[in-house]
Amino acid sequence: MSKSLLGYKGSKPVLASVAVLTLIQTISIILQAKWLAESISALFAGHSLEQITTPVILFLFAFLIRILSGLFQQKIAYRFAETTSAAIRGQLMEQLFNLGPRFARIEGTGNLVTLVREGIGQFRTYLEIIIPRMIATGITPWLVLLFIFTQDVLSGLILLITMPILIAFMILIGYAARKQTEKQWHSYRILSNHFVDSLRGLETLKVLGRSKSHVKTIEDVSDRYRRATMKTLRVAFLSSFALDFFTMLSVASVAVSLGLRLIEGDMTLLTGLTVLILAPEYFLPIRMVGADYHATLNGKEAGAAIDKIIGTKPDQDNCSELSESYSWTGNSELMIQKLRVQHDQASKASLDQINLCLTGNKKVGIVGESGAGKSTLIDVLAGFLRPVDGEFILEGHMLNSLTCETWQKQTTYIPQHPYIFAGSLAENIRFYTPGASDEDVENAVEAAGLSPLVAKLPNGLHERIGNGGRPLSGGQEQRVALARAFLSNRPIILLDEPTAHLDIETEYELKKTMLPLFEGKLVCLATHRLHWMLEMDVIVVLDQGKVVEVGTHQELVAKQGFYYELLATQQEVL
Amino acid sequence: MRGKEWIRPYFHQHLRSFLLIIFLGACTILSASALMFTSGDLISKSALRPENILMVYIPVVLVRTFGTSRAVFSYVERLVAHNTILHVLSNMRGRLYKILEPQALFVRSRFQTGDVLGVLADDIEQLQNIYIRTIFPSIIALFMFVLTVIALGWFDLWFALYIGLFLIMLIVIIPIGSLWMTKAKQAELKQEKNRLYQKLTDAVMGLGDWMISGRASQFISSYQLDEENATVLESWLTRFGRWRMFFMQMIVAFVVVASLVWTAGEYATGQLSVTLIAAFALVVFPLMDAFLPISDALEKLPRYEDSFARLDALDNPLDKQVSEQGALPTKLENEVVAKAHEKANLSLEHVSFQYDSKEHAVLDINLELPQGKKVAIIGRSGAGKSTLLKLIQGAYTPTDGHVKINGVDAKLYGEEIPSVIGVLQQSPYLFDTTVANNIRLGNPNASDDEIQAAARQVKLSAMIEALPNGYKTPMHETGERFSGGERQRIALARILLQNTPVVMLDEPTVGLDARTERNLLRTIFDTLQDKTLIWVTHHLVGAERMDEIIFMEHGKIVMRGTHAELMEKYPRYRQLYLMDAPCLESE
Repeated sequence: MSKSLLGYKGSKPVLASVAVLTLIQTISIILQAKWLAESISALFAGHSLEQITTPVILFLFAFLIRILSGLFQQKIAYRFAETTSAAIRGQLMEQLFNLGPRFARIEGTGNLVTLVREGIGQFRTYLEIIIPRMIATGITPWLVLLFIFTQDVLSGLILLITMPILIAFMILIGYAARKQTEKQWHSYRILSNHFVDSLRGLETLKVLGRSKSHVKTIEDVSDRYRRATMKTLRVAFLSSFALDFFTMLSVASVAVSLGLRLIEGDMTLLTGLTVLILAPEYFLPIRMVGADYHATLNGKEAGAAIDKIIGTKPDQDNCSELSESYSWTGNSELMIQKLRVQHDQASKASLDQINLCLTGNKKVGIVGESGAGKSTLIDVLAGFLRPVDGEFILEGHMLNSLTCETWQKQTTYIPQHPYIFAGSLAENIRFYTPGASDEDVENAVEAAGLSPLVAKLPNGLHERIGNGGRPLSGGQEQRVALARAFLSNRPIILLDEPTAHLDIETEYELKKTMLPLFEGKLVCLATHRLHWMLEMDVIVVLDQGKVVEVGTHQELVAKQGFYYELLATQQEVL
Repeated sequence: MRGKEWIRPYFHQHLRSFLLIIFLGACTILSASALMFTSGDLISKSALRPENILMVYIPVVLVRTFGTSRAVFSYVERLVAHNTILHVLSNMRGRLYKILEPQALFVRSRFQTGDVLGVLADDIEQLQNIYIRTIFPSIIALFMFVLTVIALGWFDLWFALYIGLFLIMLIVIIPIGSLWMTKAKQAELKQEKNRLYQKLTDAVMGLGDWMISGRASQFISSYQLDEENATVLESWLTRFGRWRMFFMQMIVAFVVVASLVWTAGEYATGQLSVTLIAAFALVVFPLMDAFLPISDALEKLPRYEDSFARLDALDNPLDKQVSEQGALPTKLENEVVAKAHEKANLSLEHVSFQYDSKEHAVLDINLELPQGKKVAIIGRSGAGKSTLLKLIQGAYTPTDGHVKINGVDAKLYGEEIPSVIGVLQQSPYLFDTTVANNIRLGNPNASDDEIQAAARQVKLSAMIEALPNGYKTPMHETGERFSGGERQRIALARILLQNTPVVMLDEPTVGLDARTERNLLRTIFDTLQDKTLIWVTHHLVGAERMDEIIFMEHGKIVMRGTHAELMEKYPRYRQLYLMDAPCLESE
């Protein structure tokens, strides 16, 4: 681990200064023990309080230095952990935007948010802990031991022998505990998830008439969960038992052996006391490592998960080909050649050998069975997804993907469930164009058919929507997305199944609102609601990742191919 | 304090275990302290060079005993504590479930956003920590405090009081004082963290919009700036904690010196054996281990406040509907319920319903559903479809009119309603158990053959048999293998086993593509032939197979009739129908 610690920016001076502070701390630990022992043995020898003033003050001084140097170690490690984790968070966020919404859907929004918020926090804690602990275990016990050897060889030997025994036991027990957990991991997972599973499925249980009797199941499973957990804990806690047992036993052995040699008269009380006070200090660093074991483990795992995301470097795009002032017009042309999209090596290509030409302000319908690649194609066009293979020729420029900001700024993307941000209605509508005037926003509201809703809201355009605000229906969410599109008035609109989930009346009304928006723009609309196709200039039919037909509604109906087949299945009477 | 109702009852319930934990915890600290105390005593006695080794025999035995006992006590204490807490967790889970169960049908509308149920389950899980990390250590420290003062008082009352003051500093004044000093900052930090969490969730959910907007880098820098603000607060709190620890450790050092001064004085006046000087000096450090962590433990308390607030809110439901309208135990005789399980004639007479005093959600609905009739309900969101379903289920009582099943008020069927009405939900939940168990939920007494028969009927048998362990395959291992349509089919199999005369279909095809939608509907209609169907739908596919189609708007029925009648009578209906199925020879 230390190797990768050194990899972080500015880690070397941090490690060096913590090491120096640890050295100072260790010396003060030894001196503190020495002066305390001196004070006690002086009193023991019958000296008065006044006579021990100097060692007592020195003891206090050494103690002060000890905790101060500990404090500064923490401070340095904390600051390093903070800057490092902030930098990593920045990289992680950039990477998330790089990998796009499809990646976020696969990984799960919740998981990613937890990773950025808590994962980074855990990683920071890990950095903060590991540096002082690592250095302390590397320095303190050995210096203390060295000093003890100069005082009393036998005690030194006892302590020295204990350490490997201790570590061997810890490894052994850790190994046993891991095997135990692995053995019952499977049933354990079900048991521990059972309760939340029950709560989430409560409504289903209720309508099945099973919710009342389920109380008994919850109690039974909770009990099994407890027994399973205890079985694991009995082994897992053994490691701290071993730590406790061997360190305490070792200190006790040192005490007894010191006692016996004091009786023999081979030793002074001062030496005995010094060694006795130092014995627990010898074990302290390793005990602290044990105490922080779980925090470091969590942080290490979080760090690995973050590394995995940051590490997947996407291919470079060659956006510089495109001038920043580029804009799509009625005469523009985008050639797509031999496009191939494959999510990973093992899976089938979701798009393969796609050749398409999108021109000017055409309305393009994209249809096909589910899994044919409709959404994937829209995602590629929106620049959310980099193709594995193929190229895009945009006005003579050869691009390897459409992930360019210049291209994305030409497009509006309307998915099935447009995301509503937590904020006011106006803020949501202004999302693409934060600087838009109030008047423009009101026009967009009007055009998107949101006026009746705005009139009903107590705060009008300033009503809070999204998470924590007023909930909107599916149709209203679409209208917010439409208002965004009207306001930004970008020349390309990409729609992915915009109305399939809505009730038919809402769909009908929305369609009437959408058609004027499509005027004078390049529109790509992927859907299985075939009524849209009557309004499209050209229809692209996909089947198993390939383009199988291209043409107008009439042409394709006359052809009696894939498209005809799709229409026909929707005609059958059930 | 908030949430005490989620803490206090378990003290009474598990009093003996709690006392045992405190006893064992005290023994752990006592062992560690006694080891150093007796060691100090031992080497001092030895330094006096007794004639006979037997003179130090007792201290030697004690040192060896305490040297091993700490580990044992600590191990046992941790096990007992975790076992007890898992018992408490089990109690709390039962309790939370019993609170939520009667409201089950309302939970979705009451908690509109997010996975509140998951959060609640998590809250309870977190409450375990309040015992392990805060309550137990605090009580143990308090106990050790009393013990220490009494033990010292046995030697010297004044010195006991003097040390007592120092200890009170450590376990009362500093913890409470620092809690008071950091409370505002902690609250601020928590708020800041919630805001960050919200902002980030928003960003990840709306990732596509940020990318398209071309403002992604703007977002990242604004987010990093917010994080920095939170970090400033966090650093302040960490710094505060560090200096507090420094201060407390200095107190410990002074206690060491105080004990030196005191033992010296006592020895001088002959009231204390010389061998105890070292013993008293050495006992201080391990003893203080009991007191130092209290400030940290107490500081964690504000973290639980949100959890407590959420749990407390459950006990006093804000929604009047929920508290008054939940299902009650049935008041009907068994024969009535048994008969309704065979055959149910539903009738709605002038049914109206309003939430609170707002406009009517459902207004003057008349509907006759003799056994076997099939009706489709169509309307925009908010038209009153869901309310109508809840009225038929007896979950709501109509404000006017009557909903009757075989002439008896639906409400009176109470918890027996699932034996009369089955529901195919929009997103039925599949539980984390085997495929067979998921189907069996429809009827716990179903044999394996019956389950397989049901799977065959819903056309899933081939797919299930191809799974690695067939019907015994755990649901979560099937992963994404169950598509939306297949999940609905599992739910349909449940309903077949439930075998109720009436089935509600609550928009089961939303989110499915056209072909899947048609295939699923075909299976539904074929398998539920003799049942009464109440089908809330968003599309008109399959409308021809209904006996009646009802259009709802603002709680009222605005169009009704058979498919043929509506096609003939209403141009609006024609338009909608055509949109759903564009003709091959259109234009």
